[in-house]
Amino acid sequence: MFLGAVSLFILVPEINVVLIILILLFLIWAKVDISGLRIYLPLTVTVAIFMFAISTAFPGPKPEYHPFKVLGITFYLEVFYFTFASYWRLMAMLFGTIQYFSTNRERDTLVAIRTLKVPFVVTYFFSLALRSAGMFLEDMHTIREAERARGLDESAMSLSDRAKLYGMYMIPLFTLAIRRTDEISNALYARGYTPSGKIEGGGKRSDYILTQYPIRVVDIVLIVLMIGIFILAGFLQIRYGYFSMEHSPLYQFLLSRFS
Amino acid sequence: MIAVSTQDLGWKYAGRNNFAIEHVNLEIEENTFTSIVGPNEHGKTTLVSCIKGLIPNSFNGVWRGKVEIFGKDTREISAQTLANEIGFVFADPEAQFTSMTVEEELVFGLENIGLPLNEIKDRLEWVTNITLVSDLLDKPPYEISGGQKQRVAIASVLAMKPRIIILDEPTSMLDPLGKDFIFDILTNLKKEQDLTIIVIEHNIEQVAPLSDQIILMYKGNIAKMAPPATFFEDSEFLYEQGINPPMATTFLDQLKRNKLYDGGLPVNLDDAIRAAESLLKPNGYRKGTS
Repeated sequence: MFLGAVSLFILVPEINVVLIILILLFLIWAKVDISGLRIYLPLTVTVAIFMFAISTAFPGPKPEYHPFKVLGITFYLEVFYFTFASYWRLMAMLFGTIQYFSTNRERDTLVAIRTLKVPFVVTYFFSLALRSAGMFLEDMHTIREAERARGLDESAMSLSDRAKLYGMYMIPLFTLAIRRTDEISNALYARGYTPSGKIEGGGKRSDYILTQYPIRVVDIVLIVLMIGIFILAGFLQIRYGYFSMEHSPLYQFLLSRFS
Repeated sequence: MIAVSTQDLGWKYAGRNNFAIEHVNLEIEENTFTSIVGPNEHGKTTLVSCIKGLIPNSFNGVWRGKVEIFGKDTREISAQTLANEIGFVFADPEAQFTSMTVEEELVFGLENIGLPLNEIKDRLEWVTNITLVSDLLDKPPYEISGGQKQRVAIASVLAMKPRIIILDEPTSMLDPLGKDFIFDILTNLKKEQDLTIIVIEHNIEQVAPLSDQIILMYKGNIAKMAPPATFFEDSEFLYEQGINPPMATTFLDQLKRNKLYDGGLPVNLDDAIRAAESLLKPNGYRKGTS
C-alpha cells in the first residue's frame, strides 16, 4: 500500500517499474501465488487502451511538442510519454494495492484502524461492509451458477444482452442484501451489541482482538520510515519536481533523438 | 425456579392479518431441556423470538401478554442483559456471523458485555475445547464447512455463559454426521452444564431422548406440552399435526394398539429393544384379545 501510495508523486516510469518489480519480489517472498495476478491482465490492457486512445485522439498539441507519425496517425512525444509515465504510475499504485490485499487480512486492517482510536462503531461498520461485499459476490456467484445450471450460455450473448443480464441480477441481489441486513441486525441484538460501544452501566466495551496485536518498536520504526519517505517524496516532487517526467532517462534519450 | 414463563402471549407481524402466535401460556423450569416441535409456519420461531426479546425489539407488530425470564419482564430488560441471560443460535449459522474471523466471532458477545480481557481469554479457551473449534480460530467463519459453522455459532453463544440457550433448528442445514455432532454437543451440555436449553427441532428421533418436555406448536398455539414419556401417547393426534414420533415409539405404540404390550412408550432405540426383549421372555409376552 505504501509502495503504491508513493507512486502518486512519481512520474518517472523507470522508478515505477522498479517499484513494481520490488512489489513482485515481495509477493514471491510472501509466498503469494503470482500466477493469480493473471486475472488483472484484462484490466491492465483495458486501462492502457483507454489512456493511449484518449491521449492520441485529444492530444492538445503545443507548438514546442515533437510530433511523429505511425501508420499515418500523428503522435506527440510529450503527450505520448506523459501517458506512458502516467500508465506506469497507475500500474505501480495498482500493484501496491494488490500487494496490500494479498498479504494482509481484513482483520489486520481493522486492528490498525482501531489502534488509531477510531470509534468502535466506525470500525465495526467497516468490518460489516467488508463482510457484506464478500456475501454480495457469493450471492451473485450462486445466482449465476443457478442460471448456468438451467442452460444459460453467456458466451453466446451479445454485449448488450449481457449488460441487461447483469442489470437483472441487481433485483435478487438487493433483495438478499436487505434480508441479510435484517438477519445481521438480529444477530447483533442477540449478542448485546450497542452502536455506542458502551457496556451497560456506561463503561467501554472490551477489545480482546486488539490485545493480540501489541505494537513493537520495529512497527513504530517502520511506520515512521514509511511516512517519512512518503512526505519526502511528496516534498521533492511538489517543491522541486524531482520525480517529474523530465528526469526520466528514457524520455531524455527520446528527446535527444527528436532534436 | 421458573426460567421462562409466558402469559397469554400473542404476536402479530406488521402487515399480516392473523396472529403468528396467540394465547401462549407456558412455564419452563430452570436447567431443563425443552424441545419445540411442529410444522413450519406454525409459530415456533416466533415463540422463541419473543422469549429472546428479538420480538418486539427488532420487529414491528402487535404484542399481547407477557414474557418473563427468571421473573423479569423481557420488555423491561436491556439488550445487553438479555444477551447475558439468553443465548440464541439461529437456524442459518451464517446469518449470525458478524466478524471476519472465528476468533473475533467468539469474543464479540463477550466484548459487548464488557468482560475483562483475562476472562475473555479463559472463556475462549473453554468454549473452543467443548465445541472443538480451536483449530478454526484464524479462519473466516463463512469459509468453513456447514457443521463447523454451526459449531462456531453455538460456541459464540455458549461463550457468553447464558443461563438459557435457545437453538432454532440447529441441524436443519447439516448432513447426518454434522447433525450427530450437534446432538453430541447438546447431550454434553445437558449433562455437564447448568443450562436451560430450548431447541426447535424437526429431528424428533434425536431430540426426544434428550428432552425433559416437548412442546407442540400448531397454528400459533401450544397444541400439546408433556414429557416425552407421555407426549407420544396419542400418536394419531400427533400425525394429524404433522409430527412423526420416533420409530422406537411408533413400534411399541403399534404393539400397544394391538394389545401386545402395555408398558410405557420409550423414545430411544435402547429402551425399545429392552421393552421388546421383555416381551419375548416366557412371561413377558402379552397376547392380545383381538
